Amino acid sequence: MKRFASMLLVTTIPFFAMIALFLLVPLLSMIEGSFQAEGGGGFTISHYQEIFSNPYYLQAFENSVLISFLSSLIGIIAAVFAAYAITRFPQSLQQRVLVITNLTSNFAGIPLAFAFIVLLGNSGLFVLLAKQLGIDFGQSFTLYSWSGLTLVYVYFQLPLAVMLLYPLYHVIQKQWMEAAELLGASPWHFWLRIGFPVLFPGIVGTFSILFANAMGAYASAYALTGSNYNLVPIRIGALVSGDIFARPELGSALAVLLGLTLAAALVVNEWLTRKIRRDLS
Amino acid sequence: MSYVQIEHMSKTFHGQHVLKQLDLAIEKGELVTLLGPSGCGKSTLLRILSGLTAPDTGKIYIDGKDVTDVSPKNREIGMVFQSYALFPNLTVSQNIAFGLEMNKVPKADIRLRVQEMIELVGLAGKEQNYPRELSGGQQQRVALARSLVTRPKVLLLDEPLSALDAQIRKNLQKQLRTIQRELNMTTVLVTHDQEEAMAVSDRIYIMNGGRIVQHGSPHEIYTQPHSEFVARFIGNYNVLSAEQLNQIAPDLSIREVAERFAIRPETFREQPVTAEDIRLTGKIAHVSMLGNVTRYELNIGDVSVLVDTLHMSFESEQTGTTKTLYLCPKDVIPLYDTIA
Repeated sequence: MKRFASMLLVTTIPFFAMIALFLLVPLLSMIEGSFQAEGGGGFTISHYQEIFSNPYYLQAFENSVLISFLSSLIGIIAAVFAAYAITRFPQSLQQRVLVITNLTSNFAGIPLAFAFIVLLGNSGLFVLLAKQLGIDFGQSFTLYSWSGLTLVYVYFQLPLAVMLLYPLYHVIQKQWMEAAELLGASPWHFWLRIGFPVLFPGIVGTFSILFANAMGAYASAYALTGSNYNLVPIRIGALVSGDIFARPELGSALAVLLGLTLAAALVVNEWLTRKIRRDLS
Repeated sequence: MSYVQIEHMSKTFHGQHVLKQLDLAIEKGELVTLLGPSGCGKSTLLRILSGLTAPDTGKIYIDGKDVTDVSPKNREIGMVFQSYALFPNLTVSQNIAFGLEMNKVPKADIRLRVQEMIELVGLAGKEQNYPRELSGGQQQRVALARSLVTRPKVLLLDEPLSALDAQIRKNLQKQLRTIQRELNMTTVLVTHDQEEAMAVSDRIYIMNGGRIVQHGSPHEIYTQPHSEFVARFIGNYNVLSAEQLNQIAPDLSIREVAERFAIRPETFREQPVTAEDIRLTGKIAHVSMLGNVTRYELNIGDVSVLVDTLHMSFESEQTGTTKTLYLCPKDVIPLYDTIA
């Protein structure tokens, strides 16, 4: 038995090796790089000083946090209802809807941006169709604006949120609802007092994943707005690829702060979960 | 009219008749058990009584009022589920208080009534615990307290003890019966456990195939089964045809004419008690030790019968030995396979 357990442990070596080589080493190297003077010099905190004193980088953080928070919030609210609606479908239909949701949750990056350009770009299918019907989208909506970008973000957030929230509803036992009903609770009271608090840790966890997903999104935003829209991933991309001139150390510092923003979001989520679900503490 | 009355109740699921024109009456303060094998319709009947499932036809009266179309929350019914159905995010106190809060009972009253219930079910000190911190038996007591605290007219218990181990189940049966008597609560228990039904009920309704096949006190049900189904379900009765009975006891004179007869395994005695007792002799084919009872499979001619005797001696009798027993004619019960 012991030998079998040791053999099982040996099979995990490739996994841990991959984690070490492609996650830990780059992470440590990035942190180290963020404290290195440009051109391989000594220790410095000047990159962080530059980020905090340069309104351009601060605006990138503000934009990234704002679009990530907003698209995650819209995505999670829509997904809470959508995932519940799916659980009410007949079993066979549920499976089909989930396959489609899974497909759409993997439809992101350049192809997604292209699809949106084809449909809602300046000469997009729906834009032209609307024009023929006498509706001018250009007055209220442009794909290449803040609202257009938010729409694209919501599009790739929503199916992911549905995929993550759908299994959570199976935790809610039918007999809890029946017991609550017999005790005089309306469906609203049940969801407010029991259903939602039970789902809350899962919703918060899903929100964290959506937020991280949006904070790190690069390809869709870049394909849609080029470097016109000031987001942290686009700034990091520009600094690393060297559109004007490469400054990988500053890019590393931005990436470390991006990581810290996500960690802070996780801490807040954890704190909120503990406040609402005291039974889990 | 009885306190709870069900008339001509029918229910069909996917073309299958689960309940067939069923009638049932329960008096105030009574504990009635619906006993039957899986799929006999007992849980469906309980759910219809609670309002969680709608009947196809039939009427339900509680305390003289027709509640057939009344919603579950307005029926004044408490229900304890097999899975306890406790709310995991609420403490013991909050779970018990839930129904009172939903019914907008003043806070001071809620505190008082919750405390009373906690003491009644013996959970003092566990008020602030969450369900996952309690044992199965404790969780079931919280579920009982939660359904009793709203002072329902009828308490429904859907196999409430089946998920618990034997010792806890026996203790809780006793506690359940004590609380039910103390509160004079009209109670309907659903179970497939014959022993449990016998131990706690005032009356038992035995169900099979969506019908009530017999009802009566535990003693009546056990000693006077009307049909082969009841005889086999309620105990380990020997069910013999008239021919088999004549084969094992040719001297036995039975007044009733029936095709089948039932004999309880424990009615065979090692010594005659009355002058009418019939002497039977057979060969032991198998011996089982059931703790305080020894069960023999005795071959009398071609007929095999089960015999239960109290486990008195240190040495059990061996397979293959001849054993002589006595049977009183009044312990031979004719079966008519009629529906009660």
